[in-house]
Amino acid sequence: MSDFEIFETYQRLLKNEELSTPLAAILALTEMIEQSRAGTMFELVKELKDGAEELNLKSPNPISLNAGCELFIEFITLFPHPSANFSELKTELIRQGQQYVVEALTYRKKIAELAFDFIKDDSVILTHSYSRVVMQTLLMAHRRKRISVFVTEARPRGLGIKTAEKLRAVGIPCSVVLDSAVAYAIDKVDFVLVGSEAVVESGGLINAVGSNQIAIIAKAANKPFYALAESYKFHRLFPLSQYDLPSHNPKLLSFTQPRPPGMSLKTQSNNASEVNPHQINQEQIAQNNPDVDYTRPDLISLVFSDVGSLTPEGVSQYLVGMFAG
Amino acid sequence: MSEPSKDGPPTPLSSSQPSQKSMTKAERRELQERQRAAKAAQKQQQGQGQGQASSSASSRSKAQGAPQKKSESGRPRASSSAAPTSSRDVGGAARDGSGGIDSEGPKTRGLRIFSHFGLPKTSGHQVKGDIHPAIIRLGLQFSEFKICGANARCIAMLTAFKTVIQDYTTPAHNTLSRHLMTYLSPQISHLVAARPMSVTMGNAIRQLKLEISGSDIDLPEQDAKDALCHIIDNYIRDRIIIADEVIEDLAVKKIKDGDVVMTYARSSLVEKILIRAHALNKRFSVIVLDSRPLLEGKTLLRTLTSTTPPISCTYALLPALPSLIKEVSVVLVGAHSLHTNGSVYSRAGTAMVAMLAKEHSVPVMVCCETYKFSESIMLDAFGKNELAPLKFSPPEAPKPHSNLEVLDPLYDSTPPTCITAVVTEVGLIPPTSISSIPLALGKTSL
Repeated sequence: MSDFEIFETYQRLLKNEELSTPLAAILALTEMIEQSRAGTMFELVKELKDGAEELNLKSPNPISLNAGCELFIEFITLFPHPSANFSELKTELIRQGQQYVVEALTYRKKIAELAFDFIKDDSVILTHSYSRVVMQTLLMAHRRKRISVFVTEARPRGLGIKTAEKLRAVGIPCSVVLDSAVAYAIDKVDFVLVGSEAVVESGGLINAVGSNQIAIIAKAANKPFYALAESYKFHRLFPLSQYDLPSHNPKLLSFTQPRPPGMSLKTQSNNASEVNPHQINQEQIAQNNPDVDYTRPDLISLVFSDVGSLTPEGVSQYLVGMFAG
Repeated sequence: MSEPSKDGPPTPLSSSQPSQKSMTKAERRELQERQRAAKAAQKQQQGQGQGQASSSASSRSKAQGAPQKKSESGRPRASSSAAPTSSRDVGGAARDGSGGIDSEGPKTRGLRIFSHFGLPKTSGHQVKGDIHPAIIRLGLQFSEFKICGANARCIAMLTAFKTVIQDYTTPAHNTLSRHLMTYLSPQISHLVAARPMSVTMGNAIRQLKLEISGSDIDLPEQDAKDALCHIIDNYIRDRIIIADEVIEDLAVKKIKDGDVVMTYARSSLVEKILIRAHALNKRFSVIVLDSRPLLEGKTLLRTLTSTTPPISCTYALLPALPSLIKEVSVVLVGAHSLHTNGSVYSRAGTAMVAMLAKEHSVPVMVCCETYKFSESIMLDAFGKNELAPLKFSPPEAPKPHSNLEVLDPLYDSTPPTCITAVVTEVGLIPPTSISSIPLALGKTSL
């Protein structure tokens, strides 16, 4: 519906720090039901699917958002509707959606408690970039045990620095590690703990770029690699390789066309590039590189979720059970 | 008592033959081997015709058993019981001709490594009992490899069963639901005698048995028969034809423009997938790998290149695999069956392709309908396999009485670690979570 802007709603909801992208998407879709003028279930589902499609197109990082949308639409489709009154049904659906989000916000605590048993006293933990669920786990662990944390810088966004600052504020000893120094530091580490954008059907993990690298290094050094993921991040996607991800496009990691030296002086208007026409800045690098990568299931030891601690094989079993209906 | 020597000519049995019980198991086995070798040597002495009669008699007696599993365990028992009886006959001949046998005796020992599958079946085997002509024709087609492939065999078998059921009349004082299965059992044994039963045929027969035993006693006979034929039609339609269409939809999404798809031998499903992808105007090329003895890849090549415009294909034999694997984007193979531990039982050579693809980080997709799932666990391809019949041996193969035997197993087992994804009609699943399939299909077991 043109008068209901779903993307603006979604962005407004995202301003709440607590809400992750799938939950914000679910709430946005819930608000869409409220505003919807559909008369039948079929029309409603169609509207929701169009809304989800729009969110996907406009959002820069659609994978976990898509997971939340699919979960909600699946829930709506399978919801038993004995009530003959359609507006009653809509109210019920909205209530269910909002209730789910409220409950989903407790998932992080559940996961933290589950992962807590795996953290021994005096553990050295390696984590990657910034993840709210990892944060909550580390804070809970710090209250009852002694831990120290290595955080990777996670270029280009540098979110790892945000993690380190927050940890230091609470009094957890931590150190920022260069992305390239993970292999150097891995022998000092007891285990690796990362969050997730999505956990996929194969049992693999989609997370900020660099996670795959850390997983490979952890496997080579025989350190466990744990992923923390709420159940609404489970996705039915099945990537066969890094380049099979929906976030991959041919522009990523593409080679720039080499320009012959004589022509560059005429085409460049920038003063600085007259001196060095082949200068590369950080922004160009960030645009040419991927945001997320895919970690294979054989590199992951366990996935901690609100439904329990699952092996990567178990993730697929759960997903099939959830979507089989 | 002296230990009989393993090499060298067999010691003459005229020396006091200790009773079977007093020998140790190893010594008894040695004796059996010598007796078997002596019997084979005697067969040659007595001429080919008589030898064939005895071997066909033994194969007939072996074929009378119930389905595959029982007969396999029955065969070693049958052969071990045959050996002592033949030793009494052969003992005399060996004693007489011991001097002459010394040079040729131990040569025809038979294939030891796959000997538990029995000898490759000679074509034109005997028909025992009341077998329906449709089943006889099917048995011949199976043994001649005219109908080859798990799906084709299952569909052909079910279609033949429909004819058999329609021609069936319930005898007096009997009900269809109880008698029909006993009527079908010898027909099934006849098919198994032609070629060992495939997992697809086994699953279909199990389902059919369930339906037959569940059929209403009060229904008039023709109605019950029509209902059964209808059930068979639905089974073929739902679990094979429509499942194939869903799998095609899922698999073509994984083929992108510019991809090089590699496939091995001929899977009916992979053929359909590639033709569908081509019809959707995707630009890709195909490498068809093939191997002896069946050379099924040639049929696939013919089908793929007869589309308009033709799909660009490369045809190579298996030894060329390491040179080609670097060009490949995705490997697409079919399967004979998929087992609970995730291993895939498929045409011999598939495991090699999957293992090498894994080494080069090429994703391997196995396309398999859910009715091909077997609840057993398969750790290697030795427990269950099939040898290609002798007619597929090349003409320059060594003669039967030389020291060299040709070994042609038709199937092998791919470990689940080499497989990236299994495409089924319930979606793409990792090979290790096959146990979630019944849940997805809404059933409690496969």
